[in-house]
Formats: sequence, C-alpha cells, structure tokens
Amino acid sequence: MRRILETLVPAAPLILLFVVWESAARLGWAPPNLLPAPSLVLQRLLELLPDGEFLHHLGQTLIRLLGGFAIALVVGVSLGLLASRTGGGALITVVRVLAPIPKIALYPAFVLIFGYDHASKIALVVADTLFPILLATFHGARAVEPKLLWSAWAAGSGRFASLFTVTLPATLPAILTGCRVALLIACVTVFLAEMISSTDGLGHLLSLAARSFRMVDMFVPLLLISLIGLLLNVALQFARKHLLRGQS
Amino acid sequence: MEKRAMIEIQRLGKSFRIAGGKRHVALEGIDLNIREGEFVSILGPSGCGKSTLLYMLGGFVPPSSGSIQVQGRPVTGPGPDRGPVFQEFALFPWKTVLGNVMYGLRQQGVGKREARERAMALLHKVNLASYADFYPKELSGGMRQRVAIARTLAYDPATLLMDEPFGALDAHTRTVLQNELLQIWERDRKTVMFVTHGVDEAVFLSDRVVVMTRSPGRIRTVVDIDLPRPRVRAELLVDRRYQEYVVELERLIEDVHHERDAEPAPAPVAKTTLKVATR
Ligand SMILES: Nc1ncnc2c1ncn2[C@@H]1O[C@H](COP(=O)(O)OP(=O)(O)OP(=O)(O)O)[C@@H](O)[C@H]1O
Ligand SMILES: [Mg+2]
Repeated sequence: MRRILETLVPAAPLILLFVVWESAARLGWAPPNLLPAPSLVLQRLLELLPDGEFLHHLGQTLIRLLGGFAIALVVGVSLGLLASRTGGGALITVVRVLAPIPKIALYPAFVLIFGYDHASKIALVVADTLFPILLATFHGARAVEPKLLWSAWAAGSGRFASLFTVTLPATLPAILTGCRVALLIACVTVFLAEMISSTDGLGHLLSLAARSFRMVDMFVPLLLISLIGLLLNVALQFARKHLLRGQS
Repeated sequence: MEKRAMIEIQRLGKSFRIAGGKRHVALEGIDLNIREGEFVSILGPSGCGKSTLLYMLGGFVPPSSGSIQVQGRPVTGPGPDRGPVFQEFALFPWKTVLGNVMYGLRQQGVGKREARERAMALLHKVNLASYADFYPKELSGGMRQRVAIARTLAYDPATLLMDEPFGALDAHTRTVLQNELLQIWERDRKTVMFVTHGVDEAVFLSDRVVVMTRSPGRIRTVVDIDLPRPRVRAELLVDRRYQEYVVELERLIEDVHHERDAEPAPAPVAKTTLKVATR
C-alpha cells in the first residue's frame, strides 16, 4: 500500500495535467483543431511507434542528443577539473564570457561549417550543455575537502593522478547534478535545431505537421521528447544511486 | 640512547593574510628537534597553531619563515615518509574500508593482489577485517578513525603526523585506540607528532610534551616524560610520577590560558626539563 502511494504521489501532478488537458479538449474549452485531446496524441504515438520511418526520426534525434551530451560530458568534466587547479582561473574567465551567449544564435554558423547532417546539431547540443557541466564540475572540484587531497598526496599520489583518484570521485555528486540540467537542455536544443533546419528527427516531424496543420501529429513529437527527458532523468537517478553508494 | 634528529624545525613561522590585507601571525619562532622513533605530543590552547605546524611538517602548507628538515632534507611538499591522520578522518567516502587502506599501496605501484593482501593483514591488526567491504559512512566514529590510521600505516611512513586523532571520540573508545596506538608504536617505533588537548593522553603516550603559548603560537616549554615503557594504563594511573606530570602540565596549560593575547609572549624556551621529585 505504501509503495503504491509512494509511486503515485510523484505521478499525481502528471495525472492531473492529463485530466485537465483531456477535459479541456473534450468539453470544448479549447478549439479542438488547436489543442487535440492527449488521449488522441497518445493513441497516435502508439500507432506510429512500430513504424520504421518514425523510428528512424526518433533514432536520429537520440543520436544527436546523446552524442552531443556525451561529448560535452567528457570535455566539460576534463576542463572543469583542470580549471579547478591552480592557474585554471583564466579558463573560467573565458567560460564566464561565453556561457551567457545564446548558443542557438551560432546555429546558422554551425550549419555552414558542419552541414545539415548530424554534426551541426551535435555541435549545438555540445555548445549548450558544455557550460553547465563545466561549471558544475569546476565549482564542485573547488569545494573538495583539501584534507582528502592531502591524504592522497601523502600516500604517494601525484598531483595529476589525484585529479582522477580523488578530485573526480569527490566531485561526482556535483557533476551528476550538472548532468541533470544538461540533459534537459540537450532535449530542448536538439529539438530546436531539428525544427530550424533538418530533414529528419522529431523536431523536423513537428515542423512538417505544423505546416500542414496536422495538430495531433504535431503533438506526438512533443509528447515523445518529454517522455525521453523523463526516461533520461530516471536513468540518471539509477546511475547516481549506483555511483554514489558510499557518498551522500 | 641519543638518536639522530628525524625532524629539525628552525625559527619556523607562519602568518596568514586576512581580510583588509592585514597579516595574522599564527606561529612564530618554533625551534624543535625530534629524534627518530620519538613520540612527541603538542599541547596548547585552541588556535595557537598546532594544526598549522603539523600541516607544514606534512608539506601541505608552506612556511612563511624558517625551515623544516626531515631526515636532513628540507620539506618541499607531501611525501609518503610523513603520514597524516586528521581529526576529521578524511576517509575517501566513495571507497570501501579495504579500498581506503589499499589506496596508498596502489598509488605507489603495488599490484592489486598484493595491495589487497597487505591491506587485509593491516585490517586484521586493527580488528576491522570483517568490515572490509563497508563504506566509511556505515562505520562508527571509532571505527572510522581506525581505518584512517590503517590507511596511513599501510604505506609505512617513517613519521606519523596525528592531529587530535581521538578528539572526536568518546572516552572509552579513546582509551582503546590509545592502547592500540601505543602497541603499534612500541612495535614499529615510528616517529610520532601527536597534537592533542588531553593532558593525560599526552603524558600516557609521549616521550616529550611540547606546550605552546597562545597566539602567536610559540613553544612555551618542553617537558620530558620519564616514565618506563611499555606503559600500562592501569598501572600509570596510580603512579605518583604520572600524576605529577599531569598536574604540572595542567598548571602550565592553565597559565598559558590566562595570558592575554596582547601581552608579549615570553621568549621561547627550547627545553625545560621538568624535575619530578622522587623521594
Ligand atoms: N587558512 C587560514 N587562513 C587564515 N588563518 C588561518 C588559516 N588556518 C589557520 N589560521 C589561523 O591560524 C591560527 C592557528 O590555527 P590552527 O588551526 O593551527 O590552530 P590549532 O592550534 O590547531 O587550534 P585547535 O586546537 O582549535 O585545533 C588560528 O588563529 C587560525 O585563525
Ligand atoms: Mg587544530
């Protein structure tokens, strides 16, 4: 009973949203040609899922999303760790200047440089997710208890080695929090990029449907990307639980 | 039984830059020689720079003036010849007990299998073998401090730098760990610098007790503890000489405590041997 309640409570707002949206559509509060009922959207999504072409679009989006995130993770964590050590302050100054730039403004340039395919979208996802990960890593690494590092150095660990044996694991909680934000940003960014200029992907599907006023088809990619975001978050929570067994 | 100096501290001083660009003198004119295999305790009021002194010996914090030599070589940074044990344990929370103890050996290139065997042997010695797979957060305070000591002993440093290692423990656990430490020391005869607030602890463990003044921290007096070893707690407690050392040191601490910060600290006395009346 308790367990059922524990799973239901976080889901309650979602269910409520669904009910309100459904009634809004059914009772005619909103024009049905603008806001289709969520049950219709869900039904359409289930119809489309086994469809090869639809899966291809989904796959393209996932490749860009996860590829860009993975690159940003590796680069952001490495740079953040290095910047946390003495002399790394200059790097952070650069980051502070670059971080507020709306990365979507760079997208036309990325398309010119990398073309219409994966590369330009991945570049945009990297540009948008790199800074949250880098800054989370940097600030986390700066806050590592010095005595942990002293213990490591006294035990014979070199300065560089201790970056990986002490600073990285001690910073992991902060990094994972950064990842959580970055994954959400990645979902938004990849979708936007595909809407602006693409020949495939979920964002492209939305643009196509919108152009021909197929409202239900327009909501399908939206529902799907929000489900993807939800699942990625769940996966991250699992990883967190496993990685931080001894901490927190 | 004069052994060569393990640690030579000369005119050592440390000041910190504080808000407003001013400098705060934490330590001043510390002169101290510690022989190889000697157990030296440091007593002094809170904030007199005991931890700072230990951190400088460890090479974690650079001195502002003066010099430290360990085995004839100036200290330029941390090294596995000086093993710290901190009051806050500072265990790696992401590693198990075994992983913590293996860490130093692995860093020094010992193979995984051998490191594991040696770490397990050490855990047997500190009665923690059955907790090898526990994480530090799953242990009690006393067990954590045992792991911290084992982690340091694992790489066999010639000198132990212990900063109030038993300060956070209850009286019983503290007594148990004091006895364990003494046993280890009597077997290995490592050089030990032991910071503490406990006068009885200092007398029980040490060959010499250094008493420091309030800020800026200087050495007020060094007291030789001339008690036979191996020391047994129950016997010492009823030993008149032990009691007199405790009383004398309590008095010294009391004096230091009542000196106001503003008063000029007395010139450091390198060594005052306390004569204990033996009738
Ligand atoms: N990083 C620092 N920056 C500025 N001042 C410091 C710093 N570290 C220590 N101090 C100052 O140096 C003095 C000595 O500090 P220290 O921690 O060595 O004292 P302590 O004798 O170990 O005290 P306790 O018995 O409370 O542990 C204190 O006045 C403290 O404010
Ligand atoms: Mg201290």
